[in-house]
Amino acid sequence: MRTSITQRGRRGAAVAAGAAATALILSACGGDSGVGGTGDVEAQECPCEIRFSWWGSDERHAATQEIIDAFEAENPDITVVPDFTDWDGYWNKLSTTVAAGDTPDVMTQEERYVSDYATRGVLADLGELDIDTTKIDQSILAGGQIDGTQYALPTGINAYAIVANPAVFEEAGVEIPDDTSWTWEEYVDVANKVSEGAGEGVWGTQDYGFNEAGLNILARQKGESLWTPEGELGVSEETVAEFFQTSLDLMSGGGQPDATRTIEYQHAGPEGSLVGTNVGGMASFWSNQLGALSEASGEDIQLLRYPGETEFERTGMYYKPAMFYSVSATTEYPDAAAKFVDFLLNSEEAARINLTDRGLPANTDMREVIADDLTDADKQVADFMADLGDEIVDASPVPPNGSAEMQDIMERVNTEVIFERITPEEAATMFMEEVNAAIAG
Amino acid sequence: MSSVIQEVASTRRAASERRKGDGRMAALFLAPWFAGLFLITAGPMAASLYLSFTDYDLLTAPAWVGFDNYVRMFEDPRLLTSLQVTFTYVFVSVPLQLAAALALALVLDKGMRGLALYRSVYYLPSLLGGSVAIAILWRQIFGADGLVNQVLALVGIEGTGWVSHPDHALNTLIILNVWTFGAPMVIFLAGLRQIPRMYYEAASIDGAGPIRQFWSITVPMLTPIVFFNLVLQLINAFQNFTQAFVVSGGNGGPADSTLLYTLYLYRKGFADLDMGYASAMAWFLLLIIGGMTLVNFLASKYWVHYDD
Repeated sequence: MRTSITQRGRRGAAVAAGAAATALILSACGGDSGVGGTGDVEAQECPCEIRFSWWGSDERHAATQEIIDAFEAENPDITVVPDFTDWDGYWNKLSTTVAAGDTPDVMTQEERYVSDYATRGVLADLGELDIDTTKIDQSILAGGQIDGTQYALPTGINAYAIVANPAVFEEAGVEIPDDTSWTWEEYVDVANKVSEGAGEGVWGTQDYGFNEAGLNILARQKGESLWTPEGELGVSEETVAEFFQTSLDLMSGGGQPDATRTIEYQHAGPEGSLVGTNVGGMASFWSNQLGALSEASGEDIQLLRYPGETEFERTGMYYKPAMFYSVSATTEYPDAAAKFVDFLLNSEEAARINLTDRGLPANTDMREVIADDLTDADKQVADFMADLGDEIVDASPVPPNGSAEMQDIMERVNTEVIFERITPEEAATMFMEEVNAAIAG
Repeated sequence: MSSVIQEVASTRRAASERRKGDGRMAALFLAPWFAGLFLITAGPMAASLYLSFTDYDLLTAPAWVGFDNYVRMFEDPRLLTSLQVTFTYVFVSVPLQLAAALALALVLDKGMRGLALYRSVYYLPSLLGGSVAIAILWRQIFGADGLVNQVLALVGIEGTGWVSHPDHALNTLIILNVWTFGAPMVIFLAGLRQIPRMYYEAASIDGAGPIRQFWSITVPMLTPIVFFNLVLQLINAFQNFTQAFVVSGGNGGPADSTLLYTLYLYRKGFADLDMGYASAMAWFLLLIIGGMTLVNFLASKYWVHYDD
């Protein structure tokens, strides 16, 4: 009697376990995110609720909420639900929500990820939606196109540049160099001199080897490019080795801190960086980070062109689409989503609140709208970007699928270099192999 | 006679009714646990077993690829790195942790005043050690200008940035794991209390000193507890994640020196959009831990003494 009860119970449990497992597997298989355009899902009429996701700092969250409020005041039948997190968490969260079939209706994208999402059918063809793109800077509109389809619209533009802390230069008794003509050799030289002049605990520059944007500029100066338009690696092994060699030259000359400090400063973000804490003369940052740097340091941090702009075949600086707005291919409310994106890009209200937080506005009219509202740092960014306009040769091609791994690869390779565990030549080989593997599969 | 039989039969029936009622109650009380087991543990496990045979990028539906993911693991140099890091971490930190736990348990077993307080204080790190806050604190303490280096500077030693140096970063994680010795310590303490006092009395009459007593009585009598702690802590250490994630800034750096297996698995799945591969990695880890535990049990025959 007792044994038979136990047996039956066991069999029942096994059946239940099997059923539960099957159900989960089936639901996992069924979690298809719907490949294709917006046509797959029947569009619903508003009143409706759409979700907008972005990453960033607390200031951005507050500003974005203000923009949402302004949009809702104009469109009482649409509710926008905010969905925000920090940069690292953003991509883990986004991929997971897409897998769960819960893609945000409007999402913020970035150039290293946009291709992954677009080619896998997550993003809607924005050309089919009612969004005015006539005022968007045409040179960067292509940054959101993959195989000729507009999957993403740029929020604004950034340039990767050198930032200089005038107080540190003064302390060191070194002049800030003329950025229109300085060479890579001068860059190393100036950094070493600042370290020497400013004394213990102050350095000339912060290591630039963790970000591939600097490498891209050097590659472009030499007539190469980090990515080719066909989505392949376009930089030569020699250029990569040269790029890493500069870090070693700076370390041996004293121009940048030792390897462990370099890593700590790298993790500290703009606010905790050498320039941000007034213990470094120079660093490489995106132009929209100038405000944060100036605020953290309390100094008027200056933007400089990258060295070597007149040294080789051509200039290497470029405008990078700061971020993109994309719409989910599976949204139930494509019209509401389009209306919201249009508001973000083309309304004066949104521009006045956003200012340069998502890069200098991609909408050229809005640059004039916000001109009077800008802080000194932002004004400098606007002028700097305008000056670059004539010098920039062409846009940098959209990074291919798998380029999201680039950040990790750069960090790994550069760490090996600055601890002198591998030579710059070996680093270049490692870089080529790992990046090629990442974009191949 | 027949009435007696009937009576017995009815009592039996009542008992069986009652047992049935008990069974239902038991099922009711167990239901939340079973729901958790199936929905939160068994279900996802089954799903991940399926996914481990697919190419799944999270963004599109999984596609069946057979054993591809498992084959790829043999050609992945970073997987090898992560295994090296993990084995170093486990095989260095667990023995040290158990040694520290036993040492403190021996001290506390002497029956000092305020024992309950000390026991709680030493147990605290076990509760906190896995937390994000402690991991952040660790970054500060072992930083280039952190507490450790300030202390070292007092005695004239110039330290380095311990968490940012590829040769030292893993050691800081090992120290962090050793520091969480509270849980095995409490178990050791209970084990020490189980050893009959008369053995020690007999030994001291025979002229055995404290060291001899430790090796000849305490250690053999404690081996079942050591074994229990060893199995548990090994399994735990293989699955540690938070500390490495926070201390390394999420990527197992510098230069993959803290790339624990679990951290690499997480990055593969969520950052590199290779969830099929990550699932295969998870099942491989299960095999490793299972194999390790099996070896542990087989070897236990030779060193664990059960007092029958």
